[in-house]
Amino acid sequence: MLNKLRAVALLAAVLIMGLTLSGNVLAENEIKIGAIYPLTGAAASTGLEMKNALELAVEIINNETKGLNLPLAATAGLPNLKNAKIKLIFADHQGNPQVGATEAERLITQEKVVAIIGAYFSNVTATASQVAERYGIPFMNPESSSATLTQRGFKWFFRTTPHDDLFVHNFFDFLKAVEQKKGVKPKRIARMNENTLWGTETTKLEDKLAKERGYNIVEKITYPAKSTQLTSEVQRLKASNADLIMQSSYLGDAILAMKTYKEQGFTPEAILANNAGFNDSEFLKTLGKDGNFILSREVWALDLTSRNPLIKQVNDLYSQKYKVNFNGNSARSFTGLFVLADAINRAKSTEPEAIRKALSETNVPGNQLIMPWGGVKFDAAGQNTLGSGIIVQVQDGKYVTVWPFELASKDIIWPMPGWDKR
Amino acid sequence: MTARRRNIQVVAALAAACALPLAVTNPGHQNFLILILMFAQVGVAWNILGGYAGQVSLGHAAFFGIGAYTSTVLLTHAGLTPWIGMLVGGLVASAFAVLIGWPCFRLKGHYFSMATIAVAEIMQVMFTNWEGVGGAVGLYVPLKDQGWEAMVFNTSKLPYYYIALGLLVATLAANWAIEKSFLGYYFRAIKDEPEAARSLGISLTRYKLVAIAISSFFTALGGSFYAQKELFIDPGSVLTTALSIKMALVTILGGVGSLFGPVVGSLLLTGIEEVTRQVFGGSGQGTDLILYALIIIGVAVFYPTGIMGWLKQRRFLVAEVKK
Repeated sequence: MLNKLRAVALLAAVLIMGLTLSGNVLAENEIKIGAIYPLTGAAASTGLEMKNALELAVEIINNETKGLNLPLAATAGLPNLKNAKIKLIFADHQGNPQVGATEAERLITQEKVVAIIGAYFSNVTATASQVAERYGIPFMNPESSSATLTQRGFKWFFRTTPHDDLFVHNFFDFLKAVEQKKGVKPKRIARMNENTLWGTETTKLEDKLAKERGYNIVEKITYPAKSTQLTSEVQRLKASNADLIMQSSYLGDAILAMKTYKEQGFTPEAILANNAGFNDSEFLKTLGKDGNFILSREVWALDLTSRNPLIKQVNDLYSQKYKVNFNGNSARSFTGLFVLADAINRAKSTEPEAIRKALSETNVPGNQLIMPWGGVKFDAAGQNTLGSGIIVQVQDGKYVTVWPFELASKDIIWPMPGWDKR
Repeated sequence: MTARRRNIQVVAALAAACALPLAVTNPGHQNFLILILMFAQVGVAWNILGGYAGQVSLGHAAFFGIGAYTSTVLLTHAGLTPWIGMLVGGLVASAFAVLIGWPCFRLKGHYFSMATIAVAEIMQVMFTNWEGVGGAVGLYVPLKDQGWEAMVFNTSKLPYYYIALGLLVATLAANWAIEKSFLGYYFRAIKDEPEAARSLGISLTRYKLVAIAISSFFTALGGSFYAQKELFIDPGSVLTTALSIKMALVTILGGVGSLFGPVVGSLLLTGIEEVTRQVFGGSGQGTDLILYALIIIGVAVFYPTGIMGWLKQRRFLVAEVKK
């Protein structure tokens, strides 16, 4: 019986520990923002990069940083709130939507955060933002691209990044721009997409937009993402005599497709890829020279620094501190926090409703961002309407920005040279 | 321990569980209690097949997912209240369980466990590609309808707490009834001496199917509850192998084949998980998971029969000494 009591006491202790844990000491003049990211698990390394980016953003906001054309950089803290400092409370969602919701609830009810930023994974953003919506706390989402997130009619949800639908629109805007500038218009488009949700959603939208904008799709291929050979698919592409391939592939199938194109000597004028496998660091490592000249959609590229001094300044600060360069994810997290801090400052209050109102009135010009966007302005659904993607091309083994033309560091190479002329 | 004393204890524990949220008023803390109840409930459901009948399934997420998806699809497409959707989900899961149990029970021991993993994986791939149920994007439970009929409660956690408690009590009651009936004896016979059981005329396959049908029914109820609580489901959250393992883990830590084992296991496991993550999770060093794993290994090494098994052993030894 004594041992039983001891065991019960042990369990009770665990329970009580769980119940009493809370950050109860609130330093004066500190504004707490919850940050929910995947800090362990498969996406841990990406999560840590985003965490670093957020911490750099807080450092710039909280201290007087001269010479940066970012909102709030020159002053210490938030000037409209008596120079209050931002404090981030990090929580790990482990890539699990239920943990994301649990952490959001804890941050709101125990840590008393005034807003939440996160969560990279679209499905975790879905549950964590539900919790924020229930409590009436602003939720800033800088990185999730599932289009459905801003179709929920939420009042407290704001997303700075463009979503998947916008990216597909970008393809056609890009083709139009190339036509105007270089006078080339693809006459026979083939699309080659993998068959999971992302590929099929892209497929639907591509078919619809191609029709609307007067492009001729001559071959439509969807293939299983885990295929070990794509010979017959490529034969079909070749037979279709397509001059442009629009492709959505993950890493393995992207590499396999490229190898098969080369084997069969299939050289379309251009391959326009939908990020993912074509932008994985393994892609060029494996393919080497054969990976050259593909076009792919991106949200950010390192060579943007050559056109925009602000991006270079911020990237220098980041790489000095963490020994890596910004990428599409960390740059977007960084931007999201600035937009949020700017809104809190304009709200002149930490009341959730005041922050929400300020967020909905956000109008950050493009020259104060490290993203290649027109700016940040939210529509009624909380979606940033001024965001857009860029198109990069692999030239000499590097991803360089080729569109929008005003941001491009290199001219686009179209048509791409044949396999034997590289 | 006499039956009467045990009854008193059970009633006292239930009364305490009912009164607990009156003392614990922070919604974050209440959420923690709900998680304990939720995983206890699915653990108890798992225990019917894995504990009593000894068929270790590592694919119970399939049933959990069927429950979550059935009630949510019925709600979003047909406007059916999740209370009925939940029961339908349970029945669908049972039917599915019998269907897959039929071939899987031809396999014994580890091979059965492996087959269940495969079934759950296939389900996950299927649902990821099934457009009609939201595919990889998942399904949202609409936030606008609130109240008991819709089983959606805005910021109040209390209703969720009592629903989770109710489900747990119902599942425990079913377990208790099984334990007392001939089914309980059949299950244990199948677990310990399958050949002897067969020689006595017990149809192994039939009673294994009975066990998996009941077990999957209650697991599916837990899935529907999860959907109503988190208001969003996708294959990555309700059909993942990690969930199957967690159901087995709470039971194994608490005590396989004992009525309250999974409850104790969930208290311990959810407690450790939440506490370590809250304290260390934000650092990004993975300290919480290391601690979590160490504690699980510790329990597995020092209390191989689970917490309940250890208690029983102690009680037995103390009684021996007193003699």
